[in-house]
Amino acid sequence: MRKFLCLVAVVVLVFVYLFPYTWMVLSAFRYPADTFAIPPKLFFEISFDGFRNVFRQSVFGLYLMNSLIITLFSVAITMLVATPAAYALVRISRGGTAFLLTVLIARMIPAIALVVPIYIIGNLTRQLDTYQIMIVVTVAFNLPFAIWMVRGFFLDLPANLVDAARIDGASEWQVLTQVAAPLARGGIFATSVFVFVGAWNEFLFALILTSGRTTTATVALLSFRTSQGIEWDTISAGAFMVSLPVIVFAFIMQRYLVEGLTMGAVK
Amino acid sequence: MRFRPRPRRDSSAILFVVPAVFAALLVLIVPLAMSAYYSITGWKILQPATRNKIVWLDNYALVLTDPAFWSSIKVTLIYTVAGVALESLAGLALALLFRQNFVGRGVLRTLMILPMVITPAVVGMFWKLLYDPNYGLYNFALTSIGLPAVPWLSSTWALTSVIIMDVWESSPFFMLVLLAGLQTEDKEAVEAARIDGASSWQVVYYLTLPHLVPYLAIAAAFRAIWSLSEFDKVYMLTLGGPGDATTTMSLYAFKVGFVGFDIGKISAVSWIIAVLTLVVTAPLVAYLLRGRGAGSGGLRR
Repeated sequence: MRKFLCLVAVVVLVFVYLFPYTWMVLSAFRYPADTFAIPPKLFFEISFDGFRNVFRQSVFGLYLMNSLIITLFSVAITMLVATPAAYALVRISRGGTAFLLTVLIARMIPAIALVVPIYIIGNLTRQLDTYQIMIVVTVAFNLPFAIWMVRGFFLDLPANLVDAARIDGASEWQVLTQVAAPLARGGIFATSVFVFVGAWNEFLFALILTSGRTTTATVALLSFRTSQGIEWDTISAGAFMVSLPVIVFAFIMQRYLVEGLTMGAVK
Repeated sequence: MRFRPRPRRDSSAILFVVPAVFAALLVLIVPLAMSAYYSITGWKILQPATRNKIVWLDNYALVLTDPAFWSSIKVTLIYTVAGVALESLAGLALALLFRQNFVGRGVLRTLMILPMVITPAVVGMFWKLLYDPNYGLYNFALTSIGLPAVPWLSSTWALTSVIIMDVWESSPFFMLVLLAGLQTEDKEAVEAARIDGASSWQVVYYLTLPHLVPYLAIAAAFRAIWSLSEFDKVYMLTLGGPGDATTTMSLYAFKVGFVGFDIGKISAVSWIIAVLTLVVTAPLVAYLLRGRGAGSGGLRR
């Protein structure tokens, strides 16, 4: 009985807790008049106007594609750079830790403090509003944490496996690609889930470094705020499409996500 | 110092760090060096002639005497401290609740962590819908139980509203970290206390809470570091307004740089907030990583 009450309490709590987001999702599927009805309408006529507007008023499909391209390339490159670096830091003792600590601390500098010079560099090299600049910046910003996380998973591996491979004459690169990385693949995957969420949700850099051609879907939402006010069905439909991938992803990858989120803290 | 014979060492592993170092140089060190130079120039984008005019520390003086700058420091500190304190409490309550055994706990826990993965800019957006003074759900809820409507986004309330939004988004993070902490709780001690007649609340107060303190500290340190650079949610919800009521350090820098186009001044701002953040976070990071650099065997030699 106690368990049942507990379950009911938690279900109600979760429902109420998620209601702010649910309300926006509902707003995406109804006429603005219904969103702003007082008292709020529980039942309403379903409308897809919001979704139609999103694609009519902007090239939202392109923006979603931009988000996807930038995110996928960033995740792949981040992991390709982070995994060997993490391995090296585990193998080369003290100096490596000091280096990692420096980078992690430097990463705490608010992004806004770096974005103006990055904007100027992008301007001088004519790289503004390109995929490259967004990917390079996203990779660099996600690297410190990615290295830190992967390093933690490498530290968990049994040392004698690696030593055995080394004694058998394998080079460090062979040990990494044939022994260490395959053994730590769960952790590497957990890390990439984490980087994916961060890269997809990125806002500030895209706001400043893109303008039109490579604008991401997140930033494109701003265009639905017009001088007449906010078109809530349109912006909600857009926001729903922006947030849906990470939510679906979070569900599929929940084990890895939880591991990633708590690892930094608990390891 | 431990001394043990080391197997043959292949220093080629050091090469694996080169790409990472290159990325850090490109996106961290070079921009900081550039803004160090720009911060002593009077460069305003709209006046190209000012580009290489050296003004030394004028920009710094300008920023440090700007009331809006100090207001942004105050806003950031209130936002961070109040947010972290409330999230600790809410996260603790959630963790104790989700520790219970019930059907569907896994699914419900995953639902609970959704606020932290939803795009922060989108979070700011839909809270604006909820906070609408006339048509928002919160004021409807308040007035329908007889309470007065609250002008959520007015200058007196906006910062509180921003903090509430952050508590909603981040409490699940505290819950997750504390749940991980609860897994390592000494079950035998709890069992023994129960046998000796301790109530559930006594167990929580005398055993569970002290055990969770380090986990709470870690979650709080992480969250505080992120809060100090808060931008996305607040940009979408209030744009830092009304006036400067919710202008965090990052939003202040944004306004100077991309509304005023004053490169000299924003470079000075960048350096000031970089140094301020590092002064606060470096000890936190060192604390978080304390003891872990040594490693515990594994691949480490």
